[in-house]
Amino acid sequence: MKNSIKNLSVFVCICTVMTLLLALTNTVTAPIILENQNASANKALLEVMPDGTGFEAVALEDYTLPATVTEAYRETSGLGYVVKLATAGYGPDMVIMCGVDSSGVVTGAVCLSSNETLSKEKTYGENFINKDAAAIDAVDTIGGATKTTAAYKNAVKDALNTAIILGGGSVDVRTEEQILADNLAAALPQGEGEFEKTFLVEELENIDAVYYAENESGYVFVIGEQYVGALADGTVLTEDVENADAITDAAALIQSTVIEEIDITAYPDLTKTVVSAKKTETGNYIVETKGAGYGIKGGNEYHPASGEYIIVRVSMTADGKIIDCLTVSEAETDGLGDACASESFYGQFVGKTEENYTEIDAISGATMTTDGYKQAIERAFAAVKTLSGGEA
Amino acid sequence: MKNNNSLSVLTNGILKENPVLVLVLGTCPTLATTTTVSGAIGMGLAALVVLLCSNIFISLLRKIIPETMRIPCYIVIIAGFVTVVKMLVQAFFPGLYEVLGVYLDLITVNCIILGRAEMFANKNTVVVSALDGIGMGLGFTLALGAMATVREVFGAASFAGIAIPLLEEYKIEFLTKAPGGLLVYGLLIALVYALTKGCAPVKKSFSCSGCANASTCRMGECANREKEGNN
Repeated sequence: MKNSIKNLSVFVCICTVMTLLLALTNTVTAPIILENQNASANKALLEVMPDGTGFEAVALEDYTLPATVTEAYRETSGLGYVVKLATAGYGPDMVIMCGVDSSGVVTGAVCLSSNETLSKEKTYGENFINKDAAAIDAVDTIGGATKTTAAYKNAVKDALNTAIILGGGSVDVRTEEQILADNLAAALPQGEGEFEKTFLVEELENIDAVYYAENESGYVFVIGEQYVGALADGTVLTEDVENADAITDAAALIQSTVIEEIDITAYPDLTKTVVSAKKTETGNYIVETKGAGYGIKGGNEYHPASGEYIIVRVSMTADGKIIDCLTVSEAETDGLGDACASESFYGQFVGKTEENYTEIDAISGATMTTDGYKQAIERAFAAVKTLSGGEA
Repeated sequence: MKNNNSLSVLTNGILKENPVLVLVLGTCPTLATTTTVSGAIGMGLAALVVLLCSNIFISLLRKIIPETMRIPCYIVIIAGFVTVVKMLVQAFFPGLYEVLGVYLDLITVNCIILGRAEMFANKNTVVVSALDGIGMGLGFTLALGAMATVREVFGAASFAGIAIPLLEEYKIEFLTKAPGGLLVYGLLIALVYALTKGCAPVKKSFSCSGCANASTCRMGECANREKEGNN
């Protein structure tokens, strides 16, 4: 017992001496380390705001800022703000730092880290220097990296909005999905906020998109920036609509469309490429076709040899103009080829004909998926030609 | 140990008992920090300072530290000095601090330092222990420096970050990777063996007396087991 106490006392004494030594060293080094860390942090901030003299962190919780903003710094002499944002391009965790001066012009933008497939985002920020909010969309895109470019541009826009908000102004920081949902609910309150996009099978002049209320109370027609609500019986709810009769007619047309199933087995040439085909009484076609994609999910490969195809639904006029397009199913690689299931990709085919359907932005890092999708569209054109009695 | 010539204590660690290339200790930081000469020299010098301070401190306290509590005491002392060195490097050499990263903290568990504390400092006077610390630290630094020179010059066509344009087209990038590090390590061990043949305490190092843990395990039983195994 006596020995144990003696041993413990020696150990405690040694610990005490070492603690004092550490405390002494810390007293000397702590201010220098803090100074180094501030200089290091300022170096990154100065990269995007070279004229800055000092920066202080902004308490984000005091403001309603875009969701991508993770840090913000105010330049102490009032030059502007530096905003750090975390967004996602093709890969997750693309971290961007953007400087914005007090007049709303970008002073610099750098990508601090990313998991993108091309790595061109590292130097892409240089394109935004001296640009204001109105000029962001016109900045050249990164070739073959549509999604990365869009994510970068949105991040810079978020930084510009953040600078306005921190400067005392106000900006709409809702996401595109939130804005769409709010606009739909405002145009047709009877829809109770539950809407789905209508797959159009008829050409509707001047109408960009149609959403139907899931409770079948009516439709919302998107005409440019305007959202027009109409009840199921065609009554237009939105005031000051230029051509209310056209909306009523469109609602009636959508509801009255009669669709006839076509027996594909009667067309031996189509059975391998077409899943199903229908025809409207107005003479348009709705075909679902197969495209040979390639995907890896959970270590398994998915491609035609394993029985997996990209299935695409296309509605088309008899003379070969795409009315609407939708991805029915796919087994493409997560984070790459599966982008073919997003409207930003398949929406590009709307309005296209056989002559120009290939003029779309490819999915970056997923050439086989893009080619497979184009193959499905090509097969849709061929199918409609066959079904309408033209040459396949 | 009383008969030890001070100079030989100092020089033993450099070649004859080089901790890395003869005693094969501290392999992990050796492989990890020898991709650049500046990182390797920085790691070597940081370890030298810790080795010197811990050897002096442990030698000073060798009669006070209880036999049964010595390992925890050594660890506290070594970890304390490592933290001191870490704070100093972070404050005055921030670039080196970034390069060394986690390996600076891992000096605490570097077996060279604990090994010298256990094998040497707790049995010898302060001056001799300090010389041993300097010698072993220099040996560690030189070994790291030599290995990093080969890896950086021939693997990355540069020396201490300065590009060597002449070698740019002939660089062997494999040397900067872990397998390349092991290859260079093996070649340097062979070179040192050739240079010290008959002098290096190879056999002794692998026996109980050369083992850092010899006094904590039951030395006699260990030797007996070895003997029984041979029979």
